[in-house]
Amino acid sequence: MAHEVGTRPLPPTAAGVEAEAGITLMDRVDGALEGLWHFLSSMRFAVVLMLGLAIVGLIGSLIIQAPPGILAEPEAKANWIAEIGPMGVPIVTFLHGLPVIGAVVPDLRYRDVAGLFDSLQLFGIFNSIYFRIIIAALVISTIACSIHRFPGMVRTATQPRVDVAPTFFEHAPQHEAIVVRHTPAETLELLSGILRAKRYRVLTADGDAIHVYADRFRWAPFAGLIGHLSLVVILAGGIVGATMGYRNTQFTISEGATMPVDAVPGVTIQLLDFTDTYDIRTGAPSDYASQVVLYRDGAEIARHTIRVNDPLRLGDTSFYQAFFGSAAVMTVKDKDGKTLVAQGVPLAWRTTADDRPVGSFTIPGTDYVGWVIGTKGAGDSTIQAGQVQLELYTTGEGTQVGQALLTQGSASTIGGLDITFERESQFTGLNIGRDPGVMLVWLGAFLLFGGFVIRFTLPHKRIWARIAARPNGAVVGVASLGSKEAALGTEFESLVNDIRTALAAPARN
Amino acid sequence: MAKMSEYAFVAALLSTVLATLLYLAYALSGLRAARLQTAGMVVTTPGLGFVSGPRTAAIGRYASIIGWLATFALLFSLVFRAIATGHGPFANMYEFSMAFAFGILAAHMWFERKYHQRILALVALPVAVAMMLYAATIPAEIEPLVPALQNNLLLTVHVAVAIVAYGSFSIAFAASLLYLLQPEGGRWGLPKPQVLDEIGYRAVVIGFPFLTLTIILGAIWADTAWGTYWSWDPKETASLVTWLIYGAYLHARVMRGWRGNRAAWLLVFGFGATLFTYFGNLFFGGLHSYSGLG
Ligand code: HEM
Repeated sequence: MAHEVGTRPLPPTAAGVEAEAGITLMDRVDGALEGLWHFLSSMRFAVVLMLGLAIVGLIGSLIIQAPPGILAEPEAKANWIAEIGPMGVPIVTFLHGLPVIGAVVPDLRYRDVAGLFDSLQLFGIFNSIYFRIIIAALVISTIACSIHRFPGMVRTATQPRVDVAPTFFEHAPQHEAIVVRHTPAETLELLSGILRAKRYRVLTADGDAIHVYADRFRWAPFAGLIGHLSLVVILAGGIVGATMGYRNTQFTISEGATMPVDAVPGVTIQLLDFTDTYDIRTGAPSDYASQVVLYRDGAEIARHTIRVNDPLRLGDTSFYQAFFGSAAVMTVKDKDGKTLVAQGVPLAWRTTADDRPVGSFTIPGTDYVGWVIGTKGAGDSTIQAGQVQLELYTTGEGTQVGQALLTQGSASTIGGLDITFERESQFTGLNIGRDPGVMLVWLGAFLLFGGFVIRFTLPHKRIWARIAARPNGAVVGVASLGSKEAALGTEFESLVNDIRTALAAPARN
Repeated sequence: MAKMSEYAFVAALLSTVLATLLYLAYALSGLRAARLQTAGMVVTTPGLGFVSGPRTAAIGRYASIIGWLATFALLFSLVFRAIATGHGPFANMYEFSMAFAFGILAAHMWFERKYHQRILALVALPVAVAMMLYAATIPAEIEPLVPALQNNLLLTVHVAVAIVAYGSFSIAFAASLLYLLQPEGGRWGLPKPQVLDEIGYRAVVIGFPFLTLTIILGAIWADTAWGTYWSWDPKETASLVTWLIYGAYLHARVMRGWRGNRAAWLLVFGFGATLFTYFGNLFFGGLHSYSGLG
């Protein structure tokens, strides 16, 4: 954005005298609106908002945030709050995917302050009302600021003031007077030559003296403007993504199964194989890979091994590796021996009561849903390795029809159906998403970075000069507003040196 | 190669400590010269910066030479390590702390060359030493990358860009600290407040775009690895907080009532936020999208 030159001695302009008039109501409204506009477009407001947002962010990074969706459901919220770590429990945290045992800073006893925190929306601070207000205010402020400054920026770039007052050459932050023996016209020619050689644009005006204005990178301040407005583009992308995107972070599919992809009608996905690999020496995971095939109306359209940093893209929909777990391969036959189900059931959930892996499947041709509960692992005496607990419920009422502990390979009859736990396999958890806003986000990010880089590397450089005749020559006043950048300061000095070298000083006599 | 990296690291650590001591000696000698000057002795005062006698200047030169040595030793250490691991210094806090320390050293030497203010070393180098000592406490074993980190090019650039930002911010921190320590009008032969203000600003002008790029690259990585470019993970959030503080600084610096002390304080907070972002993993508890799988 434009340099904040308001606080520097500007080239003086004639100040208009405002006409006195009676103050009407309209004037008051006008005044209030103007005040509001002034407030909204002020940098002070912007800085306060940015720091306010920084404080909200700091709180949000210190206080545990609820996973998405949890806070909207009272029961899930209560469960979640009951579960979050009490003080003094070492928490394994992750740095870029590596586990790090967290030093436990008194983890605030969340349970004790949960009511307060919850009512202050601290568990979902990035959806809180005050977060939204700050973001909205920042957008308004940025736009107001841009609109406010735009005309001045255009004027500075296209109609710079060439004939500044003589006093400017005495009071500007950087100024120099050089006496030369050339005529004013010759001086102008030499001076313009020097400036043009330095790639300045040179404008002149005649008056009591020859006025010269030279500048470089006059469009660069607009890059700063673009940098600012790109924030709005990024936020717009975020809003588009949140409102128009599709996301399923909980898509589970077991090995061998084929399932419809809800995000893309007509498309099904088949998991051929999931492999998790670990480093022999350290035991750390080294690879998670889901081999999948996509079909549209039965015909293969894509085949890919999805890895953590290697998603599958199908048009604007992407499939990411997200999680995995064990699955139970179940077969269900009716009385006539007809196979109703032969599939792996992902045990992707946990029972609330005793934290066992659990999953469900529907049984076509019946009114039943089967729930499969797996073992907790070694030491689980109720459901041991090689066993699952099967519970059968009706779909509508949810009443239990029967239950049995199934040992791998042997069939049991439950609710008139022959149900077998064939073997254990694996399922993969995919995150399937479509985000139409993401292109806006990348565009905004590119403009933000590019805009500020240009703005920082190419400052708008402006030089004023005034060539006045004097006996046997001329005197050249050169001035610049200086800059926050010292580089320009030395450049001004080198310019003055160049002028002194190129133009001859008056002969001494 | 891994061994050579460790030797170079030790060399870098020792020479940074030595350089720090030399810079300290330089400062003390300068202080003495300044006192002699006030007492009426003849000493030379270079155009920029520290008052110095001939001895001071000699010590300063040695300090700089050792400083450069340390910088290159650490660079070699990083390069050897990268050859050994096959990737950039992003796999663990050992590698990243080394890179951070290198960022500080390199930024300091660069700013020293440009602005001839050796005195900034008194703040910057101890920070680099602390980072290296911290790195030394972390096992240096090379382990295979976990799946989330298997994005060599993107993460190497991400980290390289980040250390430029962090290095610049530590210089801005050094400048602002000296600015704030300095009583009105300047004393103790410290650089003029305008010079410190200028250095702080120049450092942020470099650091801010680099931090912006760091965050953008992090978002691109998150998008490829997890399918969301932003999830308000504590680490992401902390980097945004840092970015906002430096953004606020860029405005505050040209605002009436904010330029000067308040702007300098923002640089101090900004560096605090930088360290918080960096070490945040050690105290962020609970939910992390970075846990990746499982
Ligand atoms: C999160 C929001 C913002 C960010 C990240 C931001 C960032 C920046 C950056 C990086 C600069 C330095 C580059 C340049 O001079 O163009 C800058 C300058 C500037 N910003 Fe912002 N800005 C934000 C909001 C605003 C708002 C709301 C206003 C309106 C009051 C504003 C007004 C200005 C002005 C006038 C300058 C030029 C200051 C100078 O002369 O150095 N900014 N901003």
